[in-house]
Amino acid sequence: MAAGKYQNRIELLQGTLDMLILQTLCWGTQHGYGIAQAIRAGSRETLHVETGSLYPALHRLEKQGWILSEWKTSENKQRAKYYKLTPSGRKQLAGEVSRWNQLTTAISGLLGGEPA
Amino acid sequence: MRWWRRERELREELDAHIKMAIQDRIERGEDPAAARAAVRTEFGNRGLIEETTRDIWGWRWLSSAGQDLRYAARGLANQPLFTSVAVASLALGIGANIAIFTVFYTVMLRTLPVQDPDRLVELLQKYPGEPRGNGYWTRSAYDHYRAAARSFSAIIGSSWDHQARIDSSAEPVTAEYVTPNYFSELGLRPSIGRFILEGDAGTAVLSDALWTTRFQRDPGVAGRKILVKGVPFTVIGVAGPSFRGLRTDVASGVWLPAKPDGGMALVARLKPGVTLEHAQAEMSALYRFTIDERLASSNDPLVKNLQFEMEPCGAGLSGTRDYLGRPITVLMAASAALLMLACLNLAGMLTARGTARLREVSVRLGLGASHGRLLRQFLTESLVLAALGTAAGAGVAYASVAWLLRMFTSGRPHQQVHLDIQPDSTLLLFAVATMLLTTLLFGLAPAVSALRQASRSAALRFRGGPLGAGRTLIALQVALSMALAASAGLFSAHLRSLRSTDLGFQRDGILLLSLDPSRSEYRGQKRAAGYRALIERFQNEPGVDSASLAAPTPLHGAGAGGWGTVEGRIEQPEERRRISISYAAPRYFSTLKIPLLAGRDFSYSDLANWRVAVINSTLARHYFSNPNDAIGKRITMDRVTLAREPVTYEIIGVAGDTNYGEIREDAYRGLYLAAFRDSGVLGGTLVIRTRANMAGFAARARRIVAESTPGVEVTQVRTLTDQIDSSIVPERAMAALSGFFGGLGLLLAGVGLYGLLAYSVSRRTNEIGVRMALGATPGRIATKITRETFVIVAAGVALGVPLSLYSLKAGSRLLPGVESTNAVPALALGGAAILLASAAAAWVPAWRASRVSPVEALRHD
Repeated sequence: MAAGKYQNRIELLQGTLDMLILQTLCWGTQHGYGIAQAIRAGSRETLHVETGSLYPALHRLEKQGWILSEWKTSENKQRAKYYKLTPSGRKQLAGEVSRWNQLTTAISGLLGGEPA
Repeated sequence: MRWWRRERELREELDAHIKMAIQDRIERGEDPAAARAAVRTEFGNRGLIEETTRDIWGWRWLSSAGQDLRYAARGLANQPLFTSVAVASLALGIGANIAIFTVFYTVMLRTLPVQDPDRLVELLQKYPGEPRGNGYWTRSAYDHYRAAARSFSAIIGSSWDHQARIDSSAEPVTAEYVTPNYFSELGLRPSIGRFILEGDAGTAVLSDALWTTRFQRDPGVAGRKILVKGVPFTVIGVAGPSFRGLRTDVASGVWLPAKPDGGMALVARLKPGVTLEHAQAEMSALYRFTIDERLASSNDPLVKNLQFEMEPCGAGLSGTRDYLGRPITVLMAASAALLMLACLNLAGMLTARGTARLREVSVRLGLGASHGRLLRQFLTESLVLAALGTAAGAGVAYASVAWLLRMFTSGRPHQQVHLDIQPDSTLLLFAVATMLLTTLLFGLAPAVSALRQASRSAALRFRGGPLGAGRTLIALQVALSMALAASAGLFSAHLRSLRSTDLGFQRDGILLLSLDPSRSEYRGQKRAAGYRALIERFQNEPGVDSASLAAPTPLHGAGAGGWGTVEGRIEQPEERRRISISYAAPRYFSTLKIPLLAGRDFSYSDLANWRVAVINSTLARHYFSNPNDAIGKRITMDRVTLAREPVTYEIIGVAGDTNYGEIREDAYRGLYLAAFRDSGVLGGTLVIRTRANMAGFAARARRIVAESTPGVEVTQVRTLTDQIDSSIVPERAMAALSGFFGGLGLLLAGVGLYGLLAYSVSRRTNEIGVRMALGATPGRIATKITRETFVIVAAGVALGVPLSLYSLKAGSRLLPGVESTNAVPALALGGAAILLASAAAAWVPAWRASRVSPVEALRHD
């Protein structure tokens, strides 16, 4: 059922999309569609990235200088804009991952300390 | 452009995304059509995605500004009548402001292109009670103050000759005679060669303009020999292109070393830290030197009342500021009022437009457009209007400045103002600031009101508010246009009173021909004989009543003078006054219809015995109890302009007083001397009274001079009326411009009122229909509309009366001679004009309302 499928999705927390994009690009250059697919596949279909969030995020990251873009042709002969992590993007990713770990540890602790 | 590339890339990027997604689905075995549909759903609102992505780059304002511009352009193009009326009224309002400001800026504000212009002061002296000091100093005064004054780091001197001819050229240029420290103290650099230095004689520095027009920018001009008024000089340098001398009203063409004995204007540079007051105090004490100097050479008892004055002159010497400053300030205020009026007018139209678009605005608000976004869009529309108005206004300004400059150069030689108008950043800034301010003035209130209405009443019909605001706007316009019309009335009454002032002679039908015999063979007695024959020839010409010769002619603005002693009369020194002198040929008095109160006119039989004089009534009254007593008495004239020896004259007649230099002047003591004398003739302007058409007669007169006295040049032909008019240039400019502003103001207010009424009638067709169905007669309906109009106009007039009184008072305070006693007629004129304009504006809507058919009207809504 459509409604049920919807409920399985998780709304991404503000800011986490940036981290996920950077994380995805750790593995090499990728275009927007590829990034969305990778996040979806990597989260076992749990995380669906809205196009309306993805592209503003990509352009924001590029403006920050954490990723670079260039036009390339894909294996399917499709010209697409590929994104690549920059050194400062890599540093940013490390920072965000560590903050994320702190956050999840803290939240897990809270939830674990007060069992449902 | 980067923006275009980024837009294209964004589109391409999203296209690629969609294509790849579809491709994926097809590869997974989906039907292509279904795949496309699924991707489209999944992808979401593409326009929104593009917009939010664009936001990241900060380009959004640009693209939305582009949208607003397109939307505004479309809206304006759809309503060509509204747009053209709006742009035309803005163009006139903004154009008038730019034009007047251009002159105002050039005369009052633009600083000289010299070093530290703010520390330059002009040294002046004046009699108490005189509005204006003069800047005429002797060379010894220059030397004395330079040595004695501690407040100044330098004093420079210069004087001007506007009739300098270079080599054999006929066209005069202005030569500026300057002290050796002139250029160095002003901190100027030559673009070629060097400037005048201490010890220079016979050297000349050219202006950039003269170097261009006469020497074709010859880089080797230094060293060239030129003749200035027949005297040889060597060119040593060329000044930079921006420097035109110390005056704003004339451009110096050539700078020459100051003559050792000439008078000059003095400009000083304040030492750092010295205040104007301090310098004024020091100089007032030192000024004793000039009083003593002048007392030694003058009989004028008023000399010891002279006072020292000082004025900052970083914007150039003060003469032009005095002459034009106040009129131009008043005109600046009037043009600002006109622009204000145009803005109110446009605000009214836009408010009505906003009401008509209420539904659209409500819908857009309902669909989620933000207030800010809509406000920006409304203001964009106003900005487009203002920009169009400013662009057209620049054209208006260009033409008006040309007109104003022609007006200013039409003055008498010593009052001609040749302004150098240069478009610069200040003027551009003024235009842009005017445009933006105008946009806010007429655009903001209607936009806010439209938004407020729309959000308050959603898509409901709205009544009352906008018409109420419209009424206020109209009342304000009525008030402003009344003040403008009243001021126009005041200034044209002033001009009319100047033109109809009794000058002591009859001005109409007089043609003046200025003769220059210097290049002819007519000299000495031959000239006297030739001129006499010429006058006789004119005298016998058909259409000519009378012909004579004089110098100076009335209100020419320049004249001679001297000091006189009447035989047998002892006079206190305080009662002595300078006596103005005119040279007149026989029949001068009858030609100008100046009454002879006693004695006789000059005659050609006086030629041998030319020591005779006719005195004016004021001079006669001072010495004699009866005009006839003066006849046969002797008057000795001393220190007469250009004369060395005292000469004694026999008084042969007493003539009525006439004006000498100005339309408004105090009674002066005047003396006429014989123009014809055995040694030749003094004076060179033919004075001819004719009944013929002036333009045709002028051409004939030139031919007659060429035939009778070949070689004698006619340098100028003008009517006496024109000569008198050329003495009141600022007044004429004021009257013409304020009249134009006043008329335009009435038109705008009339159009505004008409628009409001027509709109109100069309909106109330329904109501009017009901009233008529219930038995109201067309006459009652028309009366009702007229009454409503009257209430608005009455409110405007109530506001307009104090406003007009204030502006009339301000105008007459700023402009000496403009009497506020003319205020009542001016006010009445303003009121009558606005009532008439209102009646004209109300007539059509009232008539249309009375013609509403009840059946039609009820079907209307």
